[in-house]
Amino acid sequence: MPGIGLRFQHHDAVIAQRPRVAWFEVHSENYMGGGAAIRDLETIRRDYPVSLHGVGLSLGGAEGLDAVHLGRLVRLVERIEPGLVSEHLSWSVSEGHYLGDLLPLPLTEEALDVVCDNVQRFQDAVRRRILLENPSNYLQYRHSTIPESAFLSMVARRTGCGILCDVNNIFVNSANHGWDAQAYLNALPPDDVKELHLAGHAVKPLSNGAVVLIDDHGSQVDAAVWELFGKAVQRFGALPTLIEWDTNIPPLAALLEQANHAAAILLQSYQALAHGDLT
Amino acid sequence: MATLRDIQRDFARSLLVPGDGAALVHIADDLAGPAERFNIYRNNVAITLVGALRLVYPAVDKLVGSDFFDGAARAFIKRYPPRTACLDYYGDDFPDFLAVFPPAATLAYLADVARLEWIAHMALHAPDAPALRPDALTNLAAGEHDRVRFVPHPSVRLLAVRYPADAIWRAVLDGDAAVLGGIALKEEPRWLVVQRQASGVVVARLDEDEASWSDLLFSGVALGQIMPDEESTRFVALLADHLACGRFAGFDVASGAGV
Repeated sequence: MPGIGLRFQHHDAVIAQRPRVAWFEVHSENYMGGGAAIRDLETIRRDYPVSLHGVGLSLGGAEGLDAVHLGRLVRLVERIEPGLVSEHLSWSVSEGHYLGDLLPLPLTEEALDVVCDNVQRFQDAVRRRILLENPSNYLQYRHSTIPESAFLSMVARRTGCGILCDVNNIFVNSANHGWDAQAYLNALPPDDVKELHLAGHAVKPLSNGAVVLIDDHGSQVDAAVWELFGKAVQRFGALPTLIEWDTNIPPLAALLEQANHAAAILLQSYQALAHGDLT
Repeated sequence: MATLRDIQRDFARSLLVPGDGAALVHIADDLAGPAERFNIYRNNVAITLVGALRLVYPAVDKLVGSDFFDGAARAFIKRYPPRTACLDYYGDDFPDFLAVFPPAATLAYLADVARLEWIAHMALHAPDAPALRPDALTNLAAGEHDRVRFVPHPSVRLLAVRYPADAIWRAVLDGDAAVLGGIALKEEPRWLVVQRQASGVVVARLDEDEASWSDLLFSGVALGQIMPDEESTRFVALLADHLACGRFAGFDVASGAGV
């Protein structure tokens, strides 16, 4: 069974109903204080595996990592003992100011060094392999010289980190930048991909007639993204897969329905593999 | 060639300052509509950070209305961008900002309500700790009481305000217009003690003596140095109330004289 992204709105329902779902992933930054949120998460953790997915460490930040924030993450990892720890190929902090979004990184040799140093420091602090997620972006820089899939692969090779392959983000970026989504999948090293993400996106028209896909996590997974997910599963195998839904959050049942859909695709690929082995 | 640090600094400034175009020189122009694409990020940042402030300051939001709140929050974010990636800890300067924000000048009580909301928010997210049991002092030897120094519960805060921020806050969050309309906005000193209990954040009033005694108690000053000669009955009642409400997490007994 796939997992679902757990948000505050569903804490009570999960604790009361104990739904049949394989695991939960939470945003690390929502559980750094005391009180009800972390108490609920510890309750849920007793019955389910939990993955910690950070949105604020700024692994692409030129000024390095915030030691205070890194310390909070280390304490949370020690407290929750998560199955997986992940962050994004992006940046959020400049001159000490946190900007509240996963911002696009120019893909240069300089940025590659910065990301590798930061990932290494993160892994050293939490004393485990972390997963780095491919981002969704709405623009590109004139400075970029390295394709995103190659950039991720090089970070994985140099730091030993794993890759969190967000299938919706590959779809969104391919549409926004004219990339070939299948070629992107083929460029990722299969042994380093350890988790898959799925989410909905929105379509935003620009005034010049072009459209931009927005990774808003505000709807069901798009049919074309399900199709790309099938290809990702063919290439990477039946990996832990997560349904994310962060805006216009529906009742828990709607997320479980999406998780069931993902489970069916994972099962098909498993059966096809088993069948292939026999013939 | 711009360094990564240059690019990120320009990008950050353009995100926070409306109309700033520093980021646009770095964006590839083979994509249609680079300025509109950049604005997607500018809007995302505003939605996230204004939303974070609205979560901390729901009563201020209701008092001024969402359009006014958006404007005040955006002006605040530009002046004081977050210095932490944990947005639960963002917005401590917002009450002082509102106190001198010209469009809010006629709402003299607004900054006090905001101060209470920040303290209540901090109480809500304070670290967990078991409360000291009310009977914890019963086994002390007679001579030890004067040397007791308390540790406040991590969620407990004291606040001094000029307006009845507690009554306004409660009535606004309850949506009780009748009670809100009946609150006298007389300016005089008021003292509040705020804490998180199992039921949520609780606010109680103190008088001036109780507030100054509580300040010393929560600072770990020994009982013998606080206990007033004249008002010992009131002091003991306050101490009993703090114990009964779970406002301490522990205590120790200072050794020897001189405490």
